[in-house]
Amino acid sequence: MLTAENIYKSYGQNQILKGIGLRVKPGKITALIGPSGSGKTTLLRCLSMLEAPNAGEINFDNKTYRFPLDAGDKIIPPWPDLTVVFQQLFLWPHLTLRENITLPLKRTGREQELEHLESLIDLFNMRLFIDRYPDETSLGQRQRAALVRALALKPKFILLDEITSSLDVEQVGLILNELKAMRDRGIGILIITHLLHFASEGADQIVFMDKGQVIESGAPAILKNPRTDRLKQFVSIVEAAT
Amino acid sequence: MSVFDIIAQYHVGLIQGLIVTFKLAMIIWFFGLLLGGVLGCASARWKKSIGVPARLCSFLLSGIPILVFLFWFHYPMQAILNVVIDPFITAVVALTIVNMFMVADLIRNVLAEFPDQYITAAKVCGLSPMQTLFDIQLPLILRQSIPGLLMIQVNMLQATLFASLISVDEIFRVAQRINSIVYRPVEVFTALAILFLIICLPLNGLALWLKNRFTRRVFER
Ligand SMILES: Nc1ncnc2c1ncn2[C@@H]1O[C@H](COP(=O)(O)OP(=O)(O)O)[C@@H](O)[C@H]1O
Ligand SMILES: [Mg+2]
Repeated sequence: MLTAENIYKSYGQNQILKGIGLRVKPGKITALIGPSGSGKTTLLRCLSMLEAPNAGEINFDNKTYRFPLDAGDKIIPPWPDLTVVFQQLFLWPHLTLRENITLPLKRTGREQELEHLESLIDLFNMRLFIDRYPDETSLGQRQRAALVRALALKPKFILLDEITSSLDVEQVGLILNELKAMRDRGIGILIITHLLHFASEGADQIVFMDKGQVIESGAPAILKNPRTDRLKQFVSIVEAAT
Repeated sequence: MSVFDIIAQYHVGLIQGLIVTFKLAMIIWFFGLLLGGVLGCASARWKKSIGVPARLCSFLLSGIPILVFLFWFHYPMQAILNVVIDPFITAVVALTIVNMFMVADLIRNVLAEFPDQYITAAKVCGLSPMQTLFDIQLPLILRQSIPGLLMIQVNMLQATLFASLISVDEIFRVAQRINSIVYRPVEVFTALAILFLIICLPLNGLALWLKNRFTRRVFER
């Protein structure tokens, strides 16, 4: 289980997260939705322990961290059991896509995963460009490579930040299928997305946040029948736009 | 008397001059890169205590022509301190200082602009800090800085010619001396120009090639 409770985070005077709680369950897909600037990415950075919240509690694999940390407390880095694919991907530019994927496998003693790599490459239709450098590929191609880099590590939890923005319907479908397969293997998945149909089709749980707070959460049905005006408004705006 | 006649006739002197030039350049390159590298890293690490004074110094230095700086080191400073230092050593020290600050500036810039997100990506992929340093940071930093460093070193090689003006017997001074004997400035200085072309062009070409080959890959579109 990966949980966050009552998380506060501010940058300078800007209060970004205002007491947020979230639960990423193993074997479930949780979709985090909300307007841009509402703090989704910030929450993801806190959850993945890349950023320390000002206050709150994060629990991963039965280890609890209370923020602010006491002087002696040390975070045991949860990576890559907990891993992240960022919106901007951050593929290393001096390595080919294939090297981007294989380097972490080799460095973390996961050489045995190299065998499965070829099937992943075929699954995501990457054979044509897998040996190119990131700057020789399209955004959609890079998005798939960044996803495979994370998937190949066989994490227990994976957090994905808007990684489908440049993919066509077919590729989004492919990724959704793969995420469902991962879920069925017991992996916990958090996905930030602006594709509501992706969220309602794929997710087991929806969390809607706005202005640093969770406004509404529950089963995907809440997208059809929002309880709050704010979510109702958000859904209608997004649907009008897509 | 043609260019080739002059080279043939005075090859002993020319080679000696070249040897002095290269000795000078090697020492300036070695210490400039070493000290500049260290100062650049320190400036990036301790931005205020070391970075600010170092940047101020290189800013001031960039406003002084290398020739003036060298001369000042040779005469006024030694007069003030009441010492006499071998011109070769004076040239080494002055030009090493110039090289050091230029190198430090470049290294500091590359380090300051290093995109943190590549380190973040390494973290969440489970790489250790040591692996991140050797697999991600160093290769990217070297790709970013090597072409610029090469250019600076070519400039420093050319700046060693100024040492002739404080009577270091390097190639330019040798050429001047030959010219005072044969009175063939066109041929003598053409020979010198060709020599430098042969040495500097490949280095500049290499820098350009490396730049085209590597730097475009560092920042994503
Ligand atoms: N490193 C930072 N420093 C200052 N402000 C930040 C930083 N990161 C994010 N913010 C601010 O926090 C707010 C929420 O950003 P973000 O979490 O990226 O939202 P979302 O992912 O929902 O679009 C924005 O107003 C953004 O400007
Ligand atoms: Mg975001």
